Amino acid sequence: MLAWIHVMTARLRAFLRPGEMDQDFVEELETHLAMAEEDKVRQGFPRAEARRLAQLELGGLARVREAGRETRGLPWLDASWLDVKLGLRMLRKSWGLTLIGGLAMTLVIGVGATVMALFDLAFGEALPLENGEEVVAVQIWDSRAHRRLETPWPDYERWRDHLDRLVDIGAYQHLERNLVIGEGPPELVGVAQMTASGFELARVAPLMGRTFLPEDREGNVPVVVISHEVWQSRLEADPAVIGRTLRLGDTVHTVIGVMPEGFMFPVNHGFWIPFEAKGPAVLGDPPFAAVFARLAPGASLEGAEAEVRSLGLLAPLALAETEEQLQPRVVRYTFAFTGDMERGQVRWIGRVILLFVTLLLIPPCANIAILVYARTITRQEEIAARYVLGASRGRIVGQLFIEIFVLAAGAAFIALAFARFALQHFQQNATDVLNGGAPFWMDFTLSLRTVLFAFGLAAVAALIAGALPALQATRGQMEAGLRAMGSRAGLRLGNTWTVLIVAQIALALAALPSTIELAWGTLRTGMLGPGFAAEDYLTATLSLDNELGSDGVGSDGRFTDLQAELIRRAEAEPGVSGITVASAMPGSEPWAVVEVDGAPPPGENLFAPNNLVRFNHVDDVFFDVFDVPLLTGRGFNAGDLGRENAVVVVNRTFVEQVLGDLSPVGQRVRYSRRLGEEGQGSAETWYEIVGVVGDLPAHRENGTVYHVTARDQHHPAHLALRVGGDATAFAASLRKITLAVSPALVVDEVRTLDSIYRDQAVGNNIGASTLAAVTLSVLLLSAAGIYSLMAFTVGQRRREIGIRAALGAQPSRLLAGVFRRAIAQVAVGAATGILVALVVGYFLPIENMGGWNVPGVIPGAALIMVLVGVLAALGPARRSLRVDPTEALRG
Amino acid sequence: MEETRSPILQGTLDLMVLKTLEQMGPLHGYGIARRIEQIGENALVVNQGTIYLCLVRLVQKKWVNTEWGKSDNNRRAKFYSLTKAGHQQLKAETENWERISGVILRVLQPQE
Repeated sequence: MLAWIHVMTARLRAFLRPGEMDQDFVEELETHLAMAEEDKVRQGFPRAEARRLAQLELGGLARVREAGRETRGLPWLDASWLDVKLGLRMLRKSWGLTLIGGLAMTLVIGVGATVMALFDLAFGEALPLENGEEVVAVQIWDSRAHRRLETPWPDYERWRDHLDRLVDIGAYQHLERNLVIGEGPPELVGVAQMTASGFELARVAPLMGRTFLPEDREGNVPVVVISHEVWQSRLEADPAVIGRTLRLGDTVHTVIGVMPEGFMFPVNHGFWIPFEAKGPAVLGDPPFAAVFARLAPGASLEGAEAEVRSLGLLAPLALAETEEQLQPRVVRYTFAFTGDMERGQVRWIGRVILLFVTLLLIPPCANIAILVYARTITRQEEIAARYVLGASRGRIVGQLFIEIFVLAAGAAFIALAFARFALQHFQQNATDVLNGGAPFWMDFTLSLRTVLFAFGLAAVAALIAGALPALQATRGQMEAGLRAMGSRAGLRLGNTWTVLIVAQIALALAALPSTIELAWGTLRTGMLGPGFAAEDYLTATLSLDNELGSDGVGSDGRFTDLQAELIRRAEAEPGVSGITVASAMPGSEPWAVVEVDGAPPPGENLFAPNNLVRFNHVDDVFFDVFDVPLLTGRGFNAGDLGRENAVVVVNRTFVEQVLGDLSPVGQRVRYSRRLGEEGQGSAETWYEIVGVVGDLPAHRENGTVYHVTARDQHHPAHLALRVGGDATAFAASLRKITLAVSPALVVDEVRTLDSIYRDQAVGNNIGASTLAAVTLSVLLLSAAGIYSLMAFTVGQRRREIGIRAALGAQPSRLLAGVFRRAIAQVAVGAATGILVALVVGYFLPIENMGGWNVPGVIPGAALIMVLVGVLAALGPARRSLRVDPTEALRG
Repeated sequence: MEETRSPILQGTLDLMVLKTLEQMGPLHGYGIARRIEQIGENALVVNQGTIYLCLVRLVQKKWVNTEWGKSDNNRRAKFYSLTKAGHQQLKAETENWERISGVILRVLQPQE
C-alpha cells in the first residue's frame, strides 16, 4: 500500500513536470550508450559498429525513452486530456446540442446546487468557535406534538447546578431595544440578555475591559458588553470606551467590555446584558431564547441527554398528558435553530433533496441522450475505425462519456456561479432574521459539498447522456460499423426512439398549460400593480419594549395609552391624512379554511379550491384609509367594536369564490382551521357577514375576511399611515415622534407599502423566469429531438428518395412521405399531452398555487407543440427534396 | 498498462537489480547491466533498456535512491543505491524466491 502511494505520488510529480524527468532519463540513456560504445571499441570493434551494437543492446533509444515516459507519468490521464480536447472540438462542431443540452443541464444543476447550498446554509452544523462541535442546546421536546416547549427557569437552574456531562451551561434571551447614544437618533437593536457562561462557552476573551461578574446580576449598575462592530461604527472606536454610557430602552447602561471582531454569539448580537439574579419565569425558543452548553470532555450527545433525562423536569407542564411525552433533549447548537424538527429529519430531508434533484436530471439527460445516440450512430464509421486501430470498447465509451462530461462540467460551472449569486442575494436579504443579519455561523460562500454535489450531478448527467447511448450504440455494432464503412448501408433506429419522441411531446404539452398559468399568475400581480397608490402608504410595526413584562402589552394598559398618543401626534403632522391599525398589511394576511353555515363542511384538503381564504383584523377606519369601496351592506363602525366576535366584512373575491350565488349579507361563516395559528380561537364561533368591499390589493384576487378589532388589541400592531407627498421621508419623523412619546415604544420595519410589493414582485419574477427557462428548455429539447429524428430518417432514405426523384416522383409526395412519420409522432404525442393536461388541470388547483386561469391555454399549447414539431421537421425534409438523384444512386 | 513483459520475469529482474546493488554498492545503470550479464555468463539475454524501466519503478517505490556522480572514466552518470526499504524488500523477496525455487526444485527432482 505504502509502495503504491509512493508510486502514485512519483507518477503525479512526473505528470506535472514531464520535461524535466524526460531530459534526465535521456541524459542517462546517452551516458549508457557512450559507456557501452567505449567498451566495445576497447574490445576491438570499429566505432560505428560499436555504436550500432550498443544501440541494439539497449533496445533503441526512442523506444526506451517512450517506455520510460509511460512508466513515469500518468498515461491514462494524458489520454483523458486528449479526450477532453476532442470533446471540446465536438461541442463546437455540434453547437446545437451544446446550446440546448448545456442550457438544460445548467438549469437542473443550477437548481440542484442552489437547493444544496441553501440546505447547507440552513442545516449547517459547523460552529465557528473553538471546538464548535461540542456546543449544544438543551430543549424540552414534546414527542407527541413534535414541537419544542418553553423552558422554565427553575429547570434551567437545576440543569446548571446538577449536570456533569455538560459544562458552561447558560441561557440567553433576545430583546429588542431602542438604542440611544448621546443625543443621537434612536435605533432599534437586538440585545442578548445572557448569562456570563456564554462568554466562557465561546472561549472568547474580551478585546477590552471585561465580561460579566456575579455582582453585575444584582442590577445595581446596569452594564453592557458591546461587539467590535458596534464599538467601531457607533462609538467611533473610542479607545476610552470602557465606562461610557449608552441607553437601551428605558435604562442607561455602562460599557464594561468590547468583544473581538466577529464575535456574535448567541446568534447575531452586538450588545450583551446580564440576566438579573432571578431570570425570567420561562425561556422561549431559538432564535429568541435558548439554554446552551458545551459537552464535557469525553461526553457524547446521547450521554448528556441521558443525564438530563434522568434528572427529570421539575413541574409537569400543563400541556403534557403523560410524563414520557415531555422530555428534555440535547441537540447540536445550530440544529436548535431549525425549528420543530426530529433529529433524524434533517438527514432525511437531505436525502430527499438529493434524490429529487437527481431525478430531475433524468428528463433533460434522456433527451440529450437521444441526441447523442443519433450522433454516435452517425459517427459509426469513425468509431469503427478507432476500434480497428486497437481502441477497446471501454475506451471508446469513455471518450464519448468525457465528451458529454465536458459539456456537463461547463454547465456545472455556470450553475455554481448562479448558486453563488443566489446565496449572495439571500445574504443581502437575510436582515429580517433577528434584526441584524444572518446568524454568525451561516457561511454564505459555496461549500465544498455544494461544489462536489454540482460536479457529481454533472458526472451523473454525463453517464446518462453520454455513456449510456455510447454503450447502446457500440453494442455489437463495431462489426456492423466496419461493414458500414464499406457498404454505406444505414443502421436502423429502434422503436424506443419513437416512444421517446412521443413521450417527450406529450410531457411537454402536459406541463405547458400549468406552467403558463403559474407563470402568468405570479407575473400579473406585479405587472398590474396593487390597484391603489401604495407609494402613499407608510407601514410600520409598533410594539412595547419587552422590558415591561413578557406579555409586552403591560398590565396597566400602558401600550393602549402610548399607542393612542403616538397616533394622535402623528395625525397632527402635516401631510398625514389617515392612520389605521391592523394585524396584517394588505397582501400579507394569514390564511384560513372557512366554512359557510348550511353548506357542506370543507374537507381536510388544504387545496380544496373554494374554502382557502385570507383573514385580517382591522380597526374601524381601515376601509376609509385605504379607500376600499363598499359594494353591499355596510362597513365597520365604532359600534361594532364591542361585538368583535359577531360581525365580519368580506371582499368581492370571497363572495365569488366561497358563496357563489348566495346573497352575501346575512350569511354566517366560521373557520375550520387557521393556518399557522392552530389551537387558537374557537372553531365554534360563527360570524355574520354584514358587508362586502372591493379587493385590496385590487389584482391579487384572494378571498378575504375582515374582523373589526380595537387598536390596542394588536401587539405588535401594524400601522399604515396615508401620507401625502413623500412617504419615505416621513419615516424619520415617525421614529422621532415615537421616541418622543416614550423610549419604551418600539417602531420597526418602517417602509412604504409600495416597496413591500416591489420586493414581493422580485421574488415572483425570479420564480416566473425560472419556470419560463425550464419550459423553454423542454420545448427546445423536444424540437431538437424531432429535428435529429427527421435528419436521421432523411439521411437513411437518401438513396430511396433519390431513386424515386429520378423516376419522376412529385416533390410534394416525397415530402409527404418524409413528413408522415414525424407528423404521426407529433400528433400522437399532442393527443396524449392534451389528455394528460386535462387530467392535470382537473386535479391540480393551479389557482390556489398562485396560478391564474388562462382561457384556451391547452389548445394553445398544443398548437405551439405542433408548430415546434413541424418547424423542426422542416429543415431535414427540405433537404430530402434537394437530394441529387445521381449522387444518391452513386452512393 | 505499461508492463509488456511477463510478471515473473519482471519480478526476477527487480530481485536481480536489488541484489546487484546490495553486493556492489552505488552503481550506474550501465554497471548494473554489465554486472547482471557477467553473473549470468551471457546465458541470460537481458534487454538493457528494461533495466532502466525496472530502475524507474524501483525509484518510484522508494526502494532505490539516485544521485548524479562521476563514473570511473570521469563521465557524468546517475548512481543508484539501496534504501532501507529496499534492503527490507530484498530480504523479503529473496526469502520468497528461495521458497518458490525450493518447491519447484522438489517438483522437478522428486525424492524416492
